[in-house]
Amino acid sequence: MASRKKVLLKVIILGDSGVGKTSLMNQYVNKKFSTSYKATIGADFLTKEVTVDDRIVTLQLWDTAGQERFQSLGVAFYRGADCCVLVYDVNSSKSFETLDSWRDEFLIQASPRDPDSFPFVVLGNKVDMGEERRMITQKRAHTYCQQRGQMPYFETSAKDNVNVEQAFEVIARNALLQEESEEYGGDFSDPININLDQDREGCAC
Amino acid sequence: MTHQASSSRDPPSPSASFYDVSDDEEGGYSTIAHANSGRGVKLLFSKSKVYVHPTPSAKDNIAGFVALVQQKSAPLASDERERPGTSSSSQSKKDNDDASKYLLAWVPESSLAQDDFSTYVKVDMKDAETPPKQSYLVPPLPVASYYDDSNVGPYAFSLPLSQIYSILVRPPSIGWWFGSIVINTKSGSSLPALFFHDSECESTILQKKRRQRESFDPFGEGGDLFWGGDVVIRWLKRYVTVERSTAEPSVYLVNPTEEDLYGFGQGRKSLEGQKSDNNFQGQKKKPPGPGMDPLTKTLKETRWKLLESFAKITTFARKTADDLANNNNVPPQMRRLLQNPEVQTIQDEFDSARLYLARWAMGIAEQSEREKRQRIFTARDVLDTEDTDVGEFELLDAVEGIPDGKRRPVNMKEWKGYFDAQGRLQITEDEVKERVFHGGLDPEDGVRKEAWPFLLGLYEWNSTSGERRAQMNSLRDQYIRLKGQWWERMIDDQAAPEQEEWWREQKNRIEKDVHRTDRHIPLFEGEDIPHPDPTSPFYNEQSPGTNVHMEQMKDMLLTYLEYDTPPSEQQKSPDLLVNSHPQNLGYVQGMSDLLSPLYAVFQDDALAFWCFTHFMQRMSRNFVRSQAGMRAQLNTLDQLVQLLDPKLYVHLQKVDSTNFFFFFRMLLVWYKREFEWSDVLRLWESLWTDYYSSQFHLFIAVAILEKHRDVIMEHLRGFDEVLKYVNELSNTIDLQSTLIRAEGLFKRFEKTVQAVDKKNNFPAAPTPEVRQRQGKGKDAEEGDKLTAGGQGASSSNDVNHKRTESQADKEKVISPELRLLLSRKIVMLDENAEAGARTRASGLKD
Ligand SMILES: Nc1nc2c(ncn2[C@@H]2O[C@H](COP(=O)(O)OP(=O)(O)OP(=O)(O)O)[C@@H](O)[C@H]2O)c(=O)[nH]1
Ligand SMILES: [Mg+2]
Repeated sequence: MASRKKVLLKVIILGDSGVGKTSLMNQYVNKKFSTSYKATIGADFLTKEVTVDDRIVTLQLWDTAGQERFQSLGVAFYRGADCCVLVYDVNSSKSFETLDSWRDEFLIQASPRDPDSFPFVVLGNKVDMGEERRMITQKRAHTYCQQRGQMPYFETSAKDNVNVEQAFEVIARNALLQEESEEYGGDFSDPININLDQDREGCAC
Repeated sequence: MTHQASSSRDPPSPSASFYDVSDDEEGGYSTIAHANSGRGVKLLFSKSKVYVHPTPSAKDNIAGFVALVQQKSAPLASDERERPGTSSSSQSKKDNDDASKYLLAWVPESSLAQDDFSTYVKVDMKDAETPPKQSYLVPPLPVASYYDDSNVGPYAFSLPLSQIYSILVRPPSIGWWFGSIVINTKSGSSLPALFFHDSECESTILQKKRRQRESFDPFGEGGDLFWGGDVVIRWLKRYVTVERSTAEPSVYLVNPTEEDLYGFGQGRKSLEGQKSDNNFQGQKKKPPGPGMDPLTKTLKETRWKLLESFAKITTFARKTADDLANNNNVPPQMRRLLQNPEVQTIQDEFDSARLYLARWAMGIAEQSEREKRQRIFTARDVLDTEDTDVGEFELLDAVEGIPDGKRRPVNMKEWKGYFDAQGRLQITEDEVKERVFHGGLDPEDGVRKEAWPFLLGLYEWNSTSGERRAQMNSLRDQYIRLKGQWWERMIDDQAAPEQEEWWREQKNRIEKDVHRTDRHIPLFEGEDIPHPDPTSPFYNEQSPGTNVHMEQMKDMLLTYLEYDTPPSEQQKSPDLLVNSHPQNLGYVQGMSDLLSPLYAVFQDDALAFWCFTHFMQRMSRNFVRSQAGMRAQLNTLDQLVQLLDPKLYVHLQKVDSTNFFFFFRMLLVWYKREFEWSDVLRLWESLWTDYYSSQFHLFIAVAILEKHRDVIMEHLRGFDEVLKYVNELSNTIDLQSTLIRAEGLFKRFEKTVQAVDKKNNFPAAPTPEVRQRQGKGKDAEEGDKLTAGGQGASSSNDVNHKRTESQADKEKVISPELRLLLSRKIVMLDENAEAGARTRASGLKD
């Protein structure tokens, strides 16, 4: 494998519908926040070129629909991810409580070689909405992240562009580390395989 | 050079002297000396935070101002205000004499003294439409030809407008977040690309805000999102003629000659010749910059400029950059460059380059298509545009027998004429459907309100107007009661806690989605009433958070849940209309997208609601928990492409895209996100007729795919690229031609099925009429062979094409899924296929 090959880092952004995944991504890549983004249907990605420790890498940020129902088809994108970003809304307990499910779902579907060391980053979004609306304290979120292998945690606002750049810097760095560690293990590029017809392929694994 | 010769050919404007007077009256800036240097140029316009990106690294970016200045040396200047309008087509009155007095400039912030810096900022913040009354003087700037070693900074330059040949304009877009412009001089060189960091630019932010406030129109010149570059072009237009090239939308020609206009506006052939003249001979003539080949320099400057350069060539070669290196049409200099390993790496690095090229190439093709017609699009035009190897389709069928008159929309008068005095249909249902399928309904005169309830199956076709009135009265009543049920439950606290929790959760989802649905439509745009629910994230004490139409949407969606959820025994109200097939879907994203056009057209919640329940009868399979309906459709699409375009199919296989997931969004909400609003209404009413097939939307999908098949096959090399490409088709697809192409495809499909059936039946061989497809992958691999070359023995034998084709038909397999496409009956899921909620291994459930 050519050593100076360009680096493409694949990042998956997950979390309940409406927590602000699309908004965060657009704030980071396009530097703007719009209240008129539509609910995401299907999947899409944005790319951004960034420098991590003097290396130029391309981040490919995958945004999928947050509604659970759509996940069964969306999981194909999880393959080959270098980092997974879990987003919740600090003003919604439910979106915090489902973080574990999202994490598990990701690990099951992406099946990274070493699940324990796979990099996750957690973002508590919408911190701009005021303390009185807040449901999840920073402390609680910190404790949660500590308990699950020290996942880095950021409190963000896609609206006011708070901590977005910082968070994605860490995301990029962790993704690059992951990619480099994977490189030693040979080529693991799984072709994307969406299970269109479950019965036929008989995969009930 | 040709353009120079021809530009001086233009006679000086007869009215030029008249305009020249006006500036004098203004007070004459020439009497005011520049404070520091004693000399200066008049700053007419400036825009801050315009960057040069000398390297790909953001830390090397240089912030500066783009500015329009008036040279002192020019004895007189014209003032735009006096001109009747700013018509850009009035070429003659803006001659080059005039244009040479004005310079377009870029100056880095760092080179400016404090005073001058504030002058630039001041003029920028003036944000005026006309030059400032007061004279703002700034030091003159080095003229472009020696910008390299100027003392102002490595990149500062100014250029008389008369020296500008064209400007490449690239508005900001997803993936390319800064809009930029590149100035091409008449001497053939390109100045560094200027990137508009709009989010840092105070004046642009203000202008954007003002636009949104005043006209609710966030869009600029070309209908794209408003950005800083728009303003520059607008200002240029005051002094020179700026024509947007019709063939190459990103090229703006400055004071173009007839030839230029022809070259950039006509068919592809003339474009080729013209372009190679302008760009490449021009490039060669450029005096070499210090130490660097100008082309290499160009390539190094910015990523987009690089792409732009490649794209320029690709547009006429229609080949990928790889092929270009060996293409004889490409000037040797460029060829050498493309083979240069360094350039190769840059090229490799830009993984989106191919995508970009692909889109570009398609844009050109489409543009010249549009050029060619310049009138109402007829079926014949589609046929004409298909005469390349694109698709190899016989669209003749679609064209024949459908006079263009049939493609005119049905208006209220025509519609009323379908009914007798009792309001009963006096022509056949099929006749109506045929008309609506081909022509659509008049968007202006309210006929949709009348016709949609029929098309959606709410009204019986053979009912009288009296019957319909009675029906609606009862339905209105039912709607209010259904709505009352959930309403009461929510405020009563009577429901079981888990039930209450479920409803609250559903309500939250609906809330979030309605506020994200079609807010660009005036109906849903405003926020003029206070939000009724303080727990909503959209509630705001200080300001109103919603509008009455969004509130109606929420109510209708909740009422749909009420209707779609099987009632528990004690809830059952005896005289309430019962939904015989509650699907218990819950609210699923996409539903709001389906409802909003209905509501917007009817502006009557009860009518919209009941029509929605009918629409959902066919759409609910898209929303079931198992996603079985979506899988089935993607699967059918897979088979359909395999049958109709095996070559494309093989390519899609190669790039891991036969999951057809990139059509997910289109199928889920029936292209709601791909077409603009008015086209969505038109498309849906066609689809509702089930005129050819209840699943005609799948033929729309193939039509879209076919339109782009060459680009996809030539340029796209991975699933992610295909997905991105298809996602970004959004809002670029021409509906009329897509409908016609889809119709042609349907007929072709129908003929294929007939041919297969005939062959299978003829030698009464006991072959099963329908052969099941085997494992997808293997079967598909053979797909190409089977269809193109019979048993594989004579595969790819073009001479025997006729013979093998008929053999191919024999080998083609019409699966039950495909056969179903011939049916006009609405497809619904098996009820038992959807047994209960499937919980995922991870515990995610809905
Ligand atoms: N106040 C505030 N609102 C936000 C923020 N981020 C997103 N929103 C709003 O939250 C809603 C949902 O945002 P999206 O970015 O569309 O959410 P998503 O996670 O992509 O949702 P799905 O596409 O449905 O999965 C929108 O109305 C946004 O305007 C934030 O940081 N602050
Ligand atoms: Mg989203």
